[in-house]
This record gives sequence, structure tokens and C-alpha cells, in this order.
Amino acid sequence: MKKFVLHCIIGLIIVFILDFGIGKGLEYFYFKQTSGFQHRTTYSIEQTNEDILVFGSSRANHHYKTDVFEKKLNSTFYNTGRDGNFIFYQTAILRSVLKRYKPKLILYDFAGKFSYDEGDYDRLSSLLPYYKHHPEIRNIVDLRSPYEPFKNVSGIYPYNSTIGNIVIGNVNIEGMRTKANKGYVPLFGEWKEPIALYDTVKPYEADENKITVFKEFLDLCKQNKIPMIVVVSPIFYNYESDYSIALCKKLCDEKKVPFFDFTRNTDFLKAPYLFDDISHLNDDGATLFSDKVVDLVKGKLKNQ
Amino acid sequence: MLFNSFEFLLFFPIVAILYYLTTPKYRWVFLLVASYYFYMNWQPIYAILIFTSTLVTYLCALKIDSTLVQSRKKAYLTASLIINLGILFLFKYYNFFNDSIFGLLNDWGIRMTLPNFDLLLPVGISFYTFQAVGYTIDVYRGDIKSEKHFGIYALFVSFFPQLVAGPIERAVNLLPQFKETKIFNYQQAVQGIKLMIWGYFMKIVVADRLAIYVNSVYGVPEYHSAITLIIATIFFAFQIYCDFAGYSNIAIGCAKIMGFDLMTNFRRPYFAQSCAEFWSRWHISLSTWFKDYVYIPLGGNRVGTSKNYRNILITFLVSGLWHGANWTYVIWGGLNGFYQVIFKILGISPKRKKEGGRFNLVYIGNLLLTFILISFSWIFFRANSFSDAIIVIERMVTAPGGLFIGEKSSFAYSLFAIIVLMLKDAYDEFYPDGNLFFTSKVRTIRYLSYSIIIVIILLLGVFDGGQFIYFQF
Repeated sequence: MKKFVLHCIIGLIIVFILDFGIGKGLEYFYFKQTSGFQHRTTYSIEQTNEDILVFGSSRANHHYKTDVFEKKLNSTFYNTGRDGNFIFYQTAILRSVLKRYKPKLILYDFAGKFSYDEGDYDRLSSLLPYYKHHPEIRNIVDLRSPYEPFKNVSGIYPYNSTIGNIVIGNVNIEGMRTKANKGYVPLFGEWKEPIALYDTVKPYEADENKITVFKEFLDLCKQNKIPMIVVVSPIFYNYESDYSIALCKKLCDEKKVPFFDFTRNTDFLKAPYLFDDISHLNDDGATLFSDKVVDLVKGKLKNQ
Repeated sequence: MLFNSFEFLLFFPIVAILYYLTTPKYRWVFLLVASYYFYMNWQPIYAILIFTSTLVTYLCALKIDSTLVQSRKKAYLTASLIINLGILFLFKYYNFFNDSIFGLLNDWGIRMTLPNFDLLLPVGISFYTFQAVGYTIDVYRGDIKSEKHFGIYALFVSFFPQLVAGPIERAVNLLPQFKETKIFNYQQAVQGIKLMIWGYFMKIVVADRLAIYVNSVYGVPEYHSAITLIIATIFFAFQIYCDFAGYSNIAIGCAKIMGFDLMTNFRRPYFAQSCAEFWSRWHISLSTWFKDYVYIPLGGNRVGTSKNYRNILITFLVSGLWHGANWTYVIWGGLNGFYQVIFKILGISPKRKKEGGRFNLVYIGNLLLTFILISFSWIFFRANSFSDAIIVIERMVTAPGGLFIGEKSSFAYSLFAIIVLMLKDAYDEFYPDGNLFFTSKVRTIRYLSYSIIIVIILLLGVFDGGQFIYFQF
């Protein structure tokens, strides 16, 4: 038994050394990236200093065009939207931003659902590289599981499944990635199919964590006196009703946060050529939509 | 509690240490409690089903053993089979047969219905039911004596490493081991740890990674091209292998650390040179169960040719149904039975090469043909429905278009994982006595090899992969 324990300890030491060394290497190259969604998350958390920030998922990322906002509002702008990441991720980013500075305006693009979805918790893995050095986001990441503090002792774990992107983000091979403009990543496809009718999203039991974290987002803006607008950007399908959007509006109304829903806007519902797919506008669609949001923002700033 | 969960990584070392610290006389009590705790982490109420199955098979076996009258023995066996298979039928097959039979009658204009039950399928019910039923049959046949100690028998049915997804153990192998005083064995424990590490690699790095691609393609097969569907099907062949063999390796490894030897469940199945050989390498504990308790009682190959073919087909159809209450599984089983019959009719029966045998073109040809046939049958196993399976097959020969990659890095990790897996399997297959890397005579190299596998798990593993596919059976 003694021999076994001794050999287990030796094995663990070897694994620990490899884990520490490789983890340090991954950390170095992860934060050295100059392109890609991981680089944009790092920028959002650690370096943003722009006047206007957009928060949201892929729909935010592809819908809010930097040039339009910067030119028409004469302000600096950054789009923090990231594919497949919703309210937990966005609130974590906001916490980190507010530790450094207060933006002049926040645009929140609502997408997703308030119902429980394990995948939304799994996707918090995108914040793991920041777990060690950003205590403000830890309790959000800990929603993944109660064991996150232990798992993050590992040097490699926070960078699990990221090595491919780290390599591309460092070597910067021309053409491997669509170039982002201050976070905004354009899409250039054109949707050809006719508009479809989608199922009604019936009332469901909301995930309390999501509600709490969404309310926190709204409260943080209020407490820091940052003007904020919640927007649901255009889609290319019809629906009877959507409980998620209705609930989002209700929560915004409770907190007296302006809420604008573009999902029924006929300028977009009649124009498949403005979409890349049914949920994402292409670059032309993003230009038109950003114009409309700019008008809202101007009105909002005038009323301040 | 899943083997690939953080909870299990805490649970198992604690159980193993406490097991050796417990007085040998009471170790069975400790393991029994640990096993029920392990199972009750899913649905505590379903522990009642395991207990019922245990109690029924225990009592029936005692009765079978204590009577000399053959008709009574048969009656007790029948009672045990009816109760155990009845529970299995109720939880797993009732809704399926209800829908199928009344759906068929409805098509003929006969309108009849029975209500469906909204029951959650108890994890591992097919595994422990078969293990318990196998024991009763063994006692009935006189192959073993009935177990008098209820606690030991209850542990045999619920032993946590193999409770929810096998290997389906035989009483003759496992029961006596619970009565032995296990003294810590260094070699066995090391072997157990090695098996566990490789099992985790198979599950977390290979199976769960491939699942990302396979799920996205098989979720909407109507949108994918021929080449994409072919790649997804090949990926699924490796996914299902690594998911299940990974589980088996972890289970066997856990048991070994505590001094128990479970039967080998997989022996590099994709190196089989015929479909018959494939089934001697794949899910061995289930294949031999069906051979011993279905195929041979039907007459096996000691009957005429046509009856032998019938026996093969019946065995495989039942095996298909065992896997799931869906026609796709039945077709999958039937297809595998059909392969065996066709190969027999055509007289194609390549003799298995001795391990370490020469690598030649005939070998590669047989190996590829077997892999293609088996992979084709996996389409029915994986497709969400029969119509989806037909769409996959149809589009595999008609749908033009390029290869869907999905997330590039994930696709690259998938290929890397398959390459590492096949290199190790090939090395084990052709050089069983070799001493490179994992089997090196130099301890440092062995340490480094397994440490690198752990690093790869941390680096490329899918930690949100979730359940093992075979849990649903």
C-alpha cells in the first residue's frame, strides 16, 4: 500500500508540474491574442474605455455596426456581443467594466430565454480564463457547479478546448477570421427563403438565476447612473407571441428601463435580403438597424 | 452520479480508502451502502426497483435450489422471469408496444387505446435486470448454488462500478469475490488506475468531442451533404465505441483498485475481420449473455442450417430491442443478425488473425468491409427516427455539397482524438507484448505517458459532455 501511495504521489507531482507549466504557457498566449472572440472578451473585460458599449449574444455582435454609431453619435463605441453567450456572460462583463470606468451609454440586446437551460451554464466556460484575476466575476462562473473553485486550481482547466483558437489568435493567419471592427463582426450572406411562422413561446417557469442576474444588470446601470436601452433586434420570422420577450419587457418596465422591440418591424420582416439567416442580419441589415438604434439613442440622450 | 463528474472523483477515492480501512468481515456492508448511495444520486425512489429485483431473484433462487421437483423449479424460475422482465417491460417497453400495436390496429380501422405511462426510465435497469435474471437461470440449470447470504447477493446485483452500464457480470465470477478477504494488491491497483485514465480519455476526449459534430449533423440530416453524413456516421462509430468502452474501462478499473476482477467488455472491436468477430469483441458481457441465455437455449448451431439462421436472427433482434424501445434499435439488431447469416451463407468466415499477426491487404480488406457494414448499421442506432435513418442513407448517395466542419478547432480535436485512440488500439492489437509508452519497461516513460494522457484530458476533454449513451439502456 505504501508503495502505491508513494507512486500515486509521484504521478500527481508529474501531472501537477505539467499542468502548471502548460497552463502558464496557455495563459501567456491566450492573453497575447490579437484577433478572435477570445481576444474580444479580454478587451471587453480588461481594456474597454469607449463611450458606448453594446452587450448581447451573436445577435448583438452582428447587428450593431461600429461605424454607424461612431459617425452619427460622434462617440467611441465597442461591441462586446459574443456568440452563444447570454445574460450571465453579459453581467460578468459589465461588472468588470464598472470596476474600471463608467460608459456614457449601454445598449443591451436581448436574446435567448429566461427558462433553465444547462447549456447556458456550460457556456460560462468562456469566462474561465478570467476567473483567477477577476474576483468580481467568480460567483457568476460558480453557477456552473459548486466545484469551480477547486477545478480552477488547475492551470490547464481554464483553457480547456481553447488551444486551436489560441494558435490562430496568435499567428494571425490572413483570411482565417472575419475582421472585427471594434467588436462588430459583419455577416455577408443573403437569406433567400420566404418568411415562416414560428411556434408561440408559451409562458414557462423562469430560471431564478437568470432573472436575478438580469435584474442585477439593470440595477448596476441605474446605480452607476449610466443611461441604458434594452433592444430586441430584428428577426426574419413571424410568431404569435413570445413569453421571453414579454418577460424581458416586464422586468424593464419594473426598473423603468426603456425597452424597444424590433421583431415586428416591417422594414425587416419584408426584407429577407437584409438577413444572413433568420436570426442574424447581414452587414446591410446591420447598417439599417444601427441607423434606427442611433435615432433611439439620440432621443434618449436628449431626454437625459 | 456519473463517472465523468467531479462528484465521482471525490466519491471513489473516499470509498476505496474506507473500503480497505473497514474490517474485512463488514466490507460487503460498506460496499452495499456505497453502491445504493451511488445509485440513489439519480432517482432515489428507483432504488426500490433494484431492491425488488434483488429480493425476487434471491428468494426464487433459494426455492429453486431447495426443491427437487423439476416442475416446481421451473415454476420459481418462471415467476422470477415474469416479475423481473415485467418490471423491465413496464418501465422500458410498455409505451412502445402500446403505441406500436394500437397504432397498427388503428391503421386497420380498429380503434382501441390504452393509456401511456409517464415514467422516467430507471438508469441501468436493463443491465442489473439481466445480471439478476442470469443468476436465477444459472441456479436453475445447476451451474451454481444459490447464494444464502442476502447482503452479499444484494451487493452482487448493485455493485456500483458496474451497476448502471455493465459489464453484465456472471454470478460464478463475481459472487465468490465478495466473500474473499481482499488484500491490497499493488499490481492490480496500478492496472486499475491505468484502465481508469484510458477510460476517461475515451469518454471525455474522444466520445464527447465526437458527439458535438455527430449531434449537429444527425439533428438535421436533411440539411447535410453525402460526405458530411458519411463523416458523421464514421464519427458516431468511434463515439459509441469510446462512450461505452470508456465506461467499461473506468468500471473495471474501479473494481480492480478494490481488488475485484470484472470481465473484459471490449477488445478493440474495429480490428475485427468479420461481423461475427466484431461481436466477439464488442460488449462481450452482453454478447455472451445472449449466447448463453437466448441463442443456445434456442438450439444454437446444433440444429439444422435454417434453424440456426433463425436462431441468429432472433438473438440479434432481441439484442436490438434490449438496447431501446424503438424500431430503429430492432432494425439495427436485425441488420447485424442479417450480416451474420449472409456471411454464413456465402461461406465468408475469415479466421481471426492471431494477435500480433501480419498486417496484409486481405486483412485490411476484411477490416474495412467489417467497419463499413457495422458503421452502416449504426445509422439506425443513432438516427432519431426510422424516417431520419432513411434520409441519412438516401442523402449519403444523392446529396451533393461540401463537408460541413462546424467549429474548426473542435473538428481538429476530433481527428486528433481518433488518431491517438487508433494508434493505441493498433499497437495493443499488433504488438500485445510491446513495450512502448504505456507498457514501457522504463517507469519514467510509463509515468510520463499516462501523465500526458491526463494533460490531454484537461486540455481537450469535453467536461460538459454529460451522460453515457448506454445509461439509457
